[in-house]
Amino acid sequence: MLRLAWLGVRHNPARYVATIVAIMVGVAFFAATGFLSDRVVDALEGNVDREYGTVDAALIVDDSGAAGDFAGNLRIDGAVADRIASADGVEATAGVLTGKVAFRAADGSTFATDATGRLWVEDDELNPVDVIEGNAPATAGEIAVDKGLAKDHDLTVGDQVTILTLAGPADATVVGITKFGSTDALDSGGTVSIPRATAFDWLSSGQVEYQALYVRGSGDQAALVAAIEPIAPKGYRVQSGDDFRADQRKAVGSTGQLLKRVLQAFALLAMLVGAFVIYNTFSVIVTQRVRELGLLSAIGATPKQIKRALRYEGLVIGLLGSALGVLVGFGLTFAFAVGLTAIGIDLPGSGAKLGLGSALQPILLGTVITVLSVMIPARRAARTEPIEALRASAAEQSPLTRGRVIGSAALLGLGVVALVAGRDAKQLGIGALALFVGVIVAGPIIAIGGARLLRPVLSLFGLEGRLAIDNTARSPKRTAITANALLIGVFLVTLVSVAGTTMKDFVVEKIREIETADYVIQSTGGTIDPALVTKLEEVDGVTEVVAFRREAVTLDGQASQIFTGDIAALERVSGIDVSEGSFDDVGPGAIAVVGVGEAATPAIGTTVAVANAAGTRDELEVAAHIKFSIDSTVAGNFVGEEAFDRLVGDTAPTVAFIDAESGAQSTTKDAIEALVDQRPDVDLTEGNFLGQLIGGAFDFLINAVNGLLVMSIVIALIGIVNTLSLSIFERRRELGLLRAVGMTDRRVQRMVRLESVVIATLGTVVGVGLGLFMGWALVSSISRLSGADVSLSLPATRLVIVLAAGILLGVLASLIPARRSTKLDVLDAIQVT
Amino acid sequence: MSETTTTNGTAARAVEAVKTYGKGEAAVHALAGVTVDFPAHRFTAIMGPSGSGKTTLMQCIAGLDRLTSGSAYIGETELSKLSRTDLTLLRRDRLGFIFQQYNLIPTLSARENMLLPLTLAGKPADEEWFETIVSTVGMGDRLKNLPSQLSGGQQQRVAVARALIPRPDIVFADEPTGALDSSTGTEMLTFMRKAVDETGQTIVMVTHDPHAASFANSVLFLADGQITDEMEAPTTDRVLDRMKQFEG
Repeated sequence: MLRLAWLGVRHNPARYVATIVAIMVGVAFFAATGFLSDRVVDALEGNVDREYGTVDAALIVDDSGAAGDFAGNLRIDGAVADRIASADGVEATAGVLTGKVAFRAADGSTFATDATGRLWVEDDELNPVDVIEGNAPATAGEIAVDKGLAKDHDLTVGDQVTILTLAGPADATVVGITKFGSTDALDSGGTVSIPRATAFDWLSSGQVEYQALYVRGSGDQAALVAAIEPIAPKGYRVQSGDDFRADQRKAVGSTGQLLKRVLQAFALLAMLVGAFVIYNTFSVIVTQRVRELGLLSAIGATPKQIKRALRYEGLVIGLLGSALGVLVGFGLTFAFAVGLTAIGIDLPGSGAKLGLGSALQPILLGTVITVLSVMIPARRAARTEPIEALRASAAEQSPLTRGRVIGSAALLGLGVVALVAGRDAKQLGIGALALFVGVIVAGPIIAIGGARLLRPVLSLFGLEGRLAIDNTARSPKRTAITANALLIGVFLVTLVSVAGTTMKDFVVEKIREIETADYVIQSTGGTIDPALVTKLEEVDGVTEVVAFRREAVTLDGQASQIFTGDIAALERVSGIDVSEGSFDDVGPGAIAVVGVGEAATPAIGTTVAVANAAGTRDELEVAAHIKFSIDSTVAGNFVGEEAFDRLVGDTAPTVAFIDAESGAQSTTKDAIEALVDQRPDVDLTEGNFLGQLIGGAFDFLINAVNGLLVMSIVIALIGIVNTLSLSIFERRRELGLLRAVGMTDRRVQRMVRLESVVIATLGTVVGVGLGLFMGWALVSSISRLSGADVSLSLPATRLVIVLAAGILLGVLASLIPARRSTKLDVLDAIQVT
Repeated sequence: MSETTTTNGTAARAVEAVKTYGKGEAAVHALAGVTVDFPAHRFTAIMGPSGSGKTTLMQCIAGLDRLTSGSAYIGETELSKLSRTDLTLLRRDRLGFIFQQYNLIPTLSARENMLLPLTLAGKPADEEWFETIVSTVGMGDRLKNLPSQLSGGQQQRVAVARALIPRPDIVFADEPTGALDSSTGTEMLTFMRKAVDETGQTIVMVTHDPHAASFANSVLFLADGQITDEMEAPTTDRVLDRMKQFEG
């Protein structure tokens, strides 16, 4: 039987083209996402080894605490670093210090504004980058840039440049070009290596301090960790090199794995749609071959043997399509990478990694899905009666069995009730599933009903319109399965658009209600000096600029930060406010802490221990609670000037809130941005940046998900082409007769086109309808269950585009079958075969 | 094979066979209680006008279709008691079929088509017997061709070879010469006659062609689902005469 199956495939390849293409597209997409994510994971993990390969112990910020948000500003004091360098077993240390830098061209414009300045690591083994041209930067005024920066901005060894740092513009000479493993730069925006001679001035306002410290030792890692631990400053922890690398690998690996899982979920969806196409094709093939199957049955092929033959065909087709899919997917990986590069996303790593596992998995999956999709048609084939071999043609059986009507009605009813009245996520999920399956099962009924509804419209097109609509109603099962493939894609696009837009509008609306400062500027490592404040206050539309001092500390051992400044002015321009007590009560020995929930917030009257990076400690009494808000997370806990000086020293402000007039915001923003751009260490964020960020994130998500769903619609398109082609082959005698009695080729083609449009319209309209209903049901459930007042937002333009695109797809899908319908000679067409 | 035929030499029979299509007023009685024996090692023709039930009778006895009531036997096996699969296995192991058209699997070569029943049963081919049949039907040089590369007569010869190669108890033929020209048809019938005379094959053939019927040992006449007459040692002219009586 395997041979019969193989010969069946070999002698009728055209029959299977669409099936193979459908499998291929799904598998290719699945394989490509796998290859791509593997490459990313591989490259990132490789980078971990390259960057930290020789590290035996690492002194890093302890970000396990609840106040992890504040941890980024902690520093290791230079004196502490020196003590560690001279500890037992330590051979070399590499302090990490980074800061934002940029370059200024001769005409005053800035470039490479996302570049990271990095303290050059003198120890060869600990240094992750290699000098590929020129020398390492050694003396003041020397820098090295990475290969990518050099290429993008035409920098060569010996060039004189103006570098913008915390210390302002400075002249520098490019003395070397660096490279980091297979990628150019260690940092995403480019890496500028700066020698010790100037690094502390340029990256941290002159103080010798580090963000992290990597240690290379001579002996056992555990002994090294034990030697360093007692010296480690508050807020930091010591990890052995192996643990540290494992953590880093896990961190980057999980990003890649998440990427892989999300992408492959969409690929699976595309394959599911492909399963409909495969199922449909084989159903049609079984109908076409009913006489051959009947003959086989007459001369003694058992139902089991026939079933097996069909499954073998599925197996052959599945393997072939999947293998092709993996090859195409391999090519697609490069296309993806090129496409992403074109829109500015550089994926780590290069090429595609063709692992045995990531190649076999899609082949297995594609084949299994194909064989499963063939199961039902194969069972039907096995039921072929031998006398059907002797009949002229098989009659269409009525699809409206009582079981189908009752089953779909029950499913639809259950779905609607569970969705409208469900009490928890599980019930809603069951409802959504029941409704979806119900619509799929009810497909043929919907097809007949839809055909009846559309009949008057299509009758306007004359005889061919009527014949087209009757053809869709004649085999409603086939019409339904073809339309269902499209329905799934359209349904998901609609659901994602409706639910996504609604949630976006709701969340953004909520965030808008939060009161914040209009703009926040923060200097990383530098200061907000009075000159800058004055310049900002001169900007048209700015009413007040309040700069204040802020420092990273530990609060009861947890990373946190404290600030001090003109608290009355800060209350005026920002959302900082007390929730309990008063700022007036915060004396020299007191602190106002940010409320982060009852349990985690120290009660008023209790004492907290605050320590700075150098380990200086102070006990402060909690005098007030600050309301948790966007601005209070920017600022941190409030202390008086006296306490701040005692703990931190006489530092300059590093943060400022800017208050602007309402209206004319965009020109004001542009003016502020222009000022800030001259200072690479200063970042500007809009006060309500969260709203914009989240709005943007939602938009990106909705578009990305819909973009991926387009894949499934493409496969549905292939399905329509396939079904129409096969159905035209089946009806060639009928079409021949129509032409023999005088229907022109153009009208025959129009008939086929109309049939395709009817199928596409059914799939699209039902899909949009189902998506709208489910979106509405889910949104109102959220309102009902959580008490939040979420109102449905309809992305009307998008829905109209989806509807129009669906019908257009119908026209597109009919191009090939319509041409084929009149290609056959009239006499050949009506001849008995 | 003689061991499956009964002692009185009956290869197949029908008892009170009734086949009804449709229900109630629209019911059509294709067979209205037919009782008939098909003797072993003989060539029997079933004749009758269109709609007389001759094809239905053959299909029900051959296990291709089921009777509404009554019983059909192949040897001593009662067909109505068999499951779908058992019925298929019975057809595969004990019966051979020749149809008017669409007789071959288009993707298999002539040789593969001839051996298909044995392949389905997983039995080895008796090469000597295969050679005998192939040379008798004269298809020795076209074994590798696909059906589409053969003429209608050649295709039908492959079908006959396929029916005979497993040495079935009975070969059922439904209008085997219907799609052939007269000289090819005669050649085919001569060959079927020879199979009965020389190897003791039992053949039951449905036909409406008096010339074809004249090759049989006996002819059964059917009209309106009932047997109306039987004729031994028929000739074309005698059969033609009898047919005229029906119409008259």
